[in-house]
Order: sequence, then C-alpha cells, then structure tokens
Amino acid sequence: MKQKELFQIAENWFQDQNWKPFPFQKETWKAFLDGKHGLLNAPTGSGKTYALWFPIVLNYIKNHPNYKTKHKKGLKAIWITPLRALSQEIKQSAERITKDLGTQMTVGIRTGDTSAKERAKMRTNMPDLLITTPESLQLLLSSKGYEKTFKDCSAIVVDEWHELLGTKRGVQMELGLSRLKTVCETLRIWGISATIGNLEQAREVLLGPTSPELENSMLVKADLNKKITVKSIIPSKMETFPWRGHLGLHLLDQVVPIINNSKTTLLFTNTRSQCEIWFQKILEKYPEFAGEMAMHHGSINKETRLWVEQAIRNESLKAVVCTSSLDLGVDFAPVETVIQIGGPKGVARFLQRAGRSGHRPGKESVIYFLPTHAIELVEASAMQKAVLNSAVEDRISYLSSFDVLIQYLTTLAVSDGFYPDEIYPEIKQTFCYQTLTEEQWQWLLNFLVMGSQSLKSYDEYKKVEVEEDGKFKVNSRAVAMRHRFQIGTIVGDATISVRYQKGGYIGSIEEYFISKLSPGDVFTFAGRNLEFIRIKGMAAHVRNSKKRTNKVPSWMGGRLSFSAKMSELLRQELYTAALDFSDQSEEIQALQPMFAKQREESIVPQPHQFLIETFKTRDGYHHMFYPFEGRAIHEGMSSLLAYRISLLRPITCSLAFNDYGFELLSDSEIDIQEILDNNLFTPEYMLSDLQKSLNSNEMARRKFRDIAVISGMVFTGYPEKGIKMKHLQSSSELLFDVFRDFEDDNLLYQQAYTETFEHQLEEGRLRLALERIAQQEIVWKPCSQPTPLSFPIITDRLREKLSNEKLADRIKRMMVKLTK
Amino acid sequence: MKLTIHNQDFQLHPLGGLFWEEKSLLLISDVHLGKVSHFRKFGAAVPRKAIHKNFLLLDKIVSDFQPFQICFLGDLFHSSLNKEWELFENWVGKTPAEILLVAGNHDVIAPEKFEKLKISIFPELVIGSFLLTHHPEEREEYFTFCGHIHPSIKLKGFGRERIKLPCFFKSSNQMILPAFGQFTGTHSLDPKDSDEVYAIVEDSIIKV
Repeated sequence: MKQKELFQIAENWFQDQNWKPFPFQKETWKAFLDGKHGLLNAPTGSGKTYALWFPIVLNYIKNHPNYKTKHKKGLKAIWITPLRALSQEIKQSAERITKDLGTQMTVGIRTGDTSAKERAKMRTNMPDLLITTPESLQLLLSSKGYEKTFKDCSAIVVDEWHELLGTKRGVQMELGLSRLKTVCETLRIWGISATIGNLEQAREVLLGPTSPELENSMLVKADLNKKITVKSIIPSKMETFPWRGHLGLHLLDQVVPIINNSKTTLLFTNTRSQCEIWFQKILEKYPEFAGEMAMHHGSINKETRLWVEQAIRNESLKAVVCTSSLDLGVDFAPVETVIQIGGPKGVARFLQRAGRSGHRPGKESVIYFLPTHAIELVEASAMQKAVLNSAVEDRISYLSSFDVLIQYLTTLAVSDGFYPDEIYPEIKQTFCYQTLTEEQWQWLLNFLVMGSQSLKSYDEYKKVEVEEDGKFKVNSRAVAMRHRFQIGTIVGDATISVRYQKGGYIGSIEEYFISKLSPGDVFTFAGRNLEFIRIKGMAAHVRNSKKRTNKVPSWMGGRLSFSAKMSELLRQELYTAALDFSDQSEEIQALQPMFAKQREESIVPQPHQFLIETFKTRDGYHHMFYPFEGRAIHEGMSSLLAYRISLLRPITCSLAFNDYGFELLSDSEIDIQEILDNNLFTPEYMLSDLQKSLNSNEMARRKFRDIAVISGMVFTGYPEKGIKMKHLQSSSELLFDVFRDFEDDNLLYQQAYTETFEHQLEEGRLRLALERIAQQEIVWKPCSQPTPLSFPIITDRLREKLSNEKLADRIKRMMVKLTK
Repeated sequence: MKLTIHNQDFQLHPLGGLFWEEKSLLLISDVHLGKVSHFRKFGAAVPRKAIHKNFLLLDKIVSDFQPFQICFLGDLFHSSLNKEWELFENWVGKTPAEILLVAGNHDVIAPEKFEKLKISIFPELVIGSFLLTHHPEEREEYFTFCGHIHPSIKLKGFGRERIKLPCFFKSSNQMILPAFGQFTGTHSLDPKDSDEVYAIVEDSIIKV
C-alpha cells in the first residue's frame, strides 16, 4: 500500500470523529512511515497519542496487506510511560484505532500492577502493542529468551520523555534502548516531550549522541499556541498574612468561590502531607463539599486513584486536591480551573499544571497561584512573566551513572547472559556513558564478578559468573530473584503498607513516620482518621477513628529548588519593589506593608546590592545572606562560606536555606567585616574548598543511599517477606563509612561525590552566582530582630551543620548547655 | 573511665569493651563477625578489607587489658558459618585468654564448633551478684551486663546542633554495652533521669 493510501485511512478515521488532524500529527505520521526516528514536542492533551499510534498501526497495515483477515502474533510496538496511572488512557486510544481500522491487533499493559498470572500469560503470548514503564522494560530484559520476544518489534515510543530525562530512570531507558537497537531487526525510536529548554539535547540523549539513529531523525514541534492565564490569589488582609509557612490555609476561604465558579477544579499541592491537610481542612470548613471532592496522591491505593480519575472524566467531582501524581498524561477535559498552592519551583512544571485545565482544543487554560507566605507573592508575579515568555528550564541528564550500569549488566546476566565485547560498544553509544573508558569498564566487570578488583581465594563473593566461553551469567536462582526484585525499586525511604486489621489496603507510608507512632495514636491518611494498632510484617494495621488529629504523615520527598531562569525572574520581580506604586504588579503592591517593615532596619535589595543581615535571638546569632539564586545554590554557597570562615577560626554552626537566601546560625557572633575583608565570596578555589567542606561529605552520604540500592549493594527486602531478609539489610550510611575507610577508590563511592557536585550543588551555576556577587555592593545591616525576609529561613527546621571544632570539645560544650 | 558497681571496679574502653578488674574479665558485646562475608556471599560487595578491622580492634583491646578471660555477650557471629570463621579460629588460637560466650540471637553456629576451640557457651552467666546476658533483663538482687541493643545517644547543642554517639547505657541495675563490631549500626535510646550514659567520643569516654 502506498503512503498516500495509508494517510487516507487515517484521515478518514479523523473525519468519522468529526476531527481534523493537526499539522504536527500528519508530520509525525510521514516521518515515521519514512523510517525516521525522532522527538515529538507536544503538550499533554494535544492529541500526541494519535500522532504516534497511527503510524505504528499504519506501518503494520502496510507490511500485512491482508491485515483484516489474518493476524500475525508477536510484539510489534512498545509504548513507555513513566507513570502507571497513564497506561489505561493510552491503551484506550490505541484500541480505538486498532478496532476502528479493522485490524486484529491486541493491546496489553505490563506494569508493577500487572498480576503474576497475566505476566506469565504474556511470556508466551505478547500483545501486539505493549504499554509499559521503564522498570518493567528492564524486567523484560531480565527474562530468558528476551531477544526472541523483541525481534520483530518495529517501534518504541517513550512518552513524557522530559520527565525521565534528568533522572536515573532516564538512564535506565537509554540502556534499554541501546540493547533494543541491536535486538530488534527494524526499530524506530520516538520520544514525546513537553517543552523544555534543551529539546535538541533531549533528542540526542534519546537516540545516542553519535548514533546513526540521530542522523536519521527529526524534531517535530506541535506549535499549538495555547492561551494560559495566570491569576494570583492575593490575600484580602495583607496585615495578617504570614511571613512564613508552607500550607497556605489562610487563603482557604478565597479558594472556595473559585471552586464554586468552575465545573471541576484541580488543586495542586507540592507534598502529599500538604495534600492531606488541604483536603481535610476544606471539608472541615465546608462540609457541603463532601462527596463532591476527592484526593489523589502517589501513596493512595491504585483503585482509589483510578476511581478519582474516572470521576473527573464523568464530571462528578467539583474539586480534587492532588500532588504531582496528576501532573502527567490523562486527558481530563472537564477540568476548567487549576489552583497551584505554594510555589511550583519551576516554570515547566507550572505550565504543565496549567495545561491540565481547558483541555479541549482552543480553550484557554486558567491557573491560580496561591501563595503560602508573603514572599511567595513575588514568586507569583515572576511566574506570570515566565509564562508569558515561556522561560522554560533545561533538564540536565546524568553522565556516567555507574550504579545504573551495574544494575543493567546484572539484568543482562540474569536473563541470557552477555559477552562484554558485544555490549561495550552499545553502551558507549549512549549519552550517559559516552565517556566510559576501557579501565572503568574493566573495573565494573571485576566488581560484578569478584566484588572487588583482586581475587582472593577465601572470598565467597557471589553474583555474576564468567562461563568458559567468556559469557557473563548469573546462575544462582536466589541472586536472580533478588535482582529482579530490585529492578523496580524507585528509590525512597522504606515504605510500609497501611491496612485495616480486617484486611483492605489503604496505601503506603514511610516507615519513618510509623516508627514514631504508638498504638492508639490517631493520624490522617487518605482523607481518613485512622487509629494505629500495630505493625505486623511490613504492614501497619489500623482501624477507623472518630478522634480528631493533627498528625499527618510527612513524606520526605524531594525539596525542589528554583532553576536558574526562575531565580533570575524572581530577582527582577523583587527589584520592582523600588518602582513607583503604579508601575508595580498587584502582587508587589500587596507586599507594601511587608516591604515597609523590611525597610525599618534593613533594605529591599536592588540589582547592584548584596544584602547581609545579622541579629540575635534565643536560638543564637543569625547571619543572613540573600543571593536569591535558588535552594540548591544556597546549599552549596552556605557550605562553602562556612568552610572558609572555619579556616579563620574554629566555629560550629548550623545552616538553613531556602530559595531566597541562607543562614549561618552559630552560638557566637561571626565578624562579617572579617568575611568581607578576606574576600570569602571569591569564586577562586571554589571546587577544592567545596570538596573540603564537611557538608559535601554529608550530601554525598545521602546520594550514596540511592546508589547503594540501585547497584544492588543494599537489599530493600521483599515487600511481604521484609522481616525474613533482615540479616541482609544494612543501612547505606554504614556502607558509606565502610567504603570511606577501606575502599575510597570505589567508582560507586566516588559517584556519590560527582553527583553531589554536579547535580545537587550545580557547581557551574554556583560559580556564576559568586561572580555576580563579586560585582555587587555588599550591604550589611545589623538588626535588632528578625526581618520579614529572614523569617522563612530562620524558622526552617531542616538544617545542615558544619563544624571544625574537635568532637570532644563540642560534646563538652553541649553538656555545659544541658546542665545550665 | 572507671566505675564501681557492687564494690567491684570496672573500666570502660572507648572501643566499646568493659574490663572487670577484680576478675580480670573483659566483656565485649555484639561483634557480629562474619557479617561482611555474609553480605558478599549474597552479592553485596562490601569492601573486603573491612573484614580484618574487627580482628585488629579485638587485638587492640585485648592487649590494652591483657585479661585472663574474655566473655562475649552474644551476637559474636552474625550469620551461619562462612570463611571468616577460619580467621576467628586463628584469632582464638593466638589470643592468650579463656573465652566464654553468652549466646545471642544471631549466634546460630553449632556449639560443637565453639567447643572445638575450647570456647564454652552459656545461655546466661551468674558471677557473684552479677548477671551476664545478651538481651537486657533486670533481675532482683543482680546487676546485669548485656548487649543486643547497640545503644547510642542523641545530643542537642546550641544553634540546633545534633549529634549521635554510641554509648554504654547504665540504668540502676543494668548496663547495656555498645556494639563492638564495625559495620553494625546503632539504636538511639532516651535516657531517664536515673540513667547514666557514657558516650564514646573518638578515643575517649565522656559521661553525659
């Protein structure tokens, strides 16, 4: 069949639905059928699924002219989605096409939720079109005879690639693709990404920087020009609006009319605990919403989540309080309004959320920004500018993640085994491992086989074995089973499932939270008040309770940082505080009382100024610095500064930071003049000073946690058998110390430091920030009490500490304080 | 650091052992030998060099006190038999003291293996008015030495400073010893007013 005839089939289908294909959809069909690879840049709800499902099916029709009567079994295409929750929706749109076009193609889903029975069925009988997650794809690579399964697969689509990019799941994906390129006879690789700053690089990472696939690929952009309106919710009484906080409940009453005026409203919160609290508080104050309001976050059980998603589609819900769990995919046409509670910390994320509303083509998206404390109004104002200019961030990909590579090689060894000479060139083609050296490769192979770099006879290390013909293979069933189990691990705190005593799964909670409860305690979870009874196995047993409670589980989930772009916009916005009232945005106008208070003893900094404040409270001497560069940069800068001060004199201080500035809190006054005289903000020797700062060790220690789990050195246990595996559980902290003391040249140990400097501290950005400060006039304001700018920082409980005093001296000083 | 309990004198060692002067008896708890090898056997590549550290530290504490007897208060060996046992055999052979073991929950190695090395095993030991066990247990008229918990203590300081240290944890009739082994981890305890806590601060002991 000619391409023209194929397109006609697709166009006819669109006509039958009374739709018209978008230019970007047609462009993608053509590129695909021409045999090209590529990246499609299209937002959620734009019809991107039809842009790629169609050519996949059309390609099958082309190769099987009697497709209506005969059906050739076997896997033909894979659709990767980062979130399980999206798979149903994707399946439905695929099935519509396969059915309406009269093919006999089957569509199947395989994720962590798929039952063992169904998975077993798939082993012998794969669906034609498979929808799965990056982890499940790895699991398929760990099953015997996978090469045969994938041989005739002609396409792989990686949906929401921007979400995977810049995470280790993305690296996992790169590795999976590198294998499929070899295994599949003809494979087209396509990614779908929302708008990010570095789309071209996203394509490079997907296809491989030097690969023939990249050469034969294109970037398709769906310029839909969707209109997005951002409105800030400005407190009606600014005087009582708090200077700090992160919940935003003060504005609850102003949210209700918005909900009432719209068909369906999504309220996005930044954390799961915030989500729980908002849900509960709205119902408490406005019980009439009961039955019309629901909650959606990642720890709630799957059935409830699916029910909520369905209810949104049926328009039977007025409001849903949710977290990033509803960020992606799933078209919810009825959603008219979105409310973002608290700063979203990124333009891309904010746009994505805004895009959840007004999903029907041509409709405008409306998003409200609800500030949780006064300074966030600046953020709200900055966000409007950002949306106007689509100032979207880059997603930075990982380089040389040895942990993921170790996991991947073990995966291959678990299934059919691998020959290093065959795999090495595949890996070298990926973006992540483009700089992998032969020495590093050999190190990794030694590590897999001997658990070290030299063989000793009494060693009992056992994992991967080398067979006579040089094949690397796992032969122990126990090792294989443990490994398969680890593949799916999304690294996080140990979680525990929450169940009713009589049975019935409610969701999962971090063990850390449960460990602080005693039997009889009541806490709020999944919108219910639950009484904790006991822990049994890896489950917490609970029963419903009528008691009121303030205990809400906290999830330690990532604290996000401002991107460079967002920080820049934020500073620009803050500088408008000096303008005439009439030239200011209404958010900045609303902040006048706070600015006035700030100016009583200090200033609101201008572009050429770098503000430092000092004051004393019961907690000690506070030294505040305001670079306005985002949390991550402040973390590095505070650590750097504290280290440099410690070179002048012994100090012990604790560090706190947010997106606006950072604090050194100490029990004695630090001489700011001395800091300035000694030029402690210089970008010179930055990296070596950072490496020496104690804090970077602590950060690396935390990074090592994920690395240890991913590389299989820490076993997280089987969910139901958790207890039995206890003799194999150890904390990664312990392991980190052992590496530091005995094997500090270990690549995985060193990776923890690389990640700390490149990903967490963003040393490149930090250097630019220091260079900017060097150009500024430093304004030091000793104050008698905390200023409004300082308030959110000094009340932050999550702190880092730094000290170069002798441990024994510190203990003695602590004891003096205890006995006082 | 020296302590007197029931008119007997005890020395606390910063490596985590306790020496009973009158009896020339060294008490050590929770060494967890074999743990590194056990992990390696199951495919977790814990650095092999860490294996020897435990033995070096044992040598150090033994040479500091030169005791007649050494009593391990349980969890001497972390797992079933592995090649670290041979290293332990060598260590026993060259150590000039009688060795006793009060068995702990981790001690699953057959008693015969210990007997071959002339190590006697007890479920608990009573010496005068002192009770030696693995699990903490308060018994009337006795003072207990035990392990199992791997106690540590959290200290707070100025400017929201926090620190966690392994410790000897003494209540009125009981002393819980810290874990001697490397690679073992700790569990923090909340002391009551009547409790005494002796924290290990690098190479010294400080009463908190």
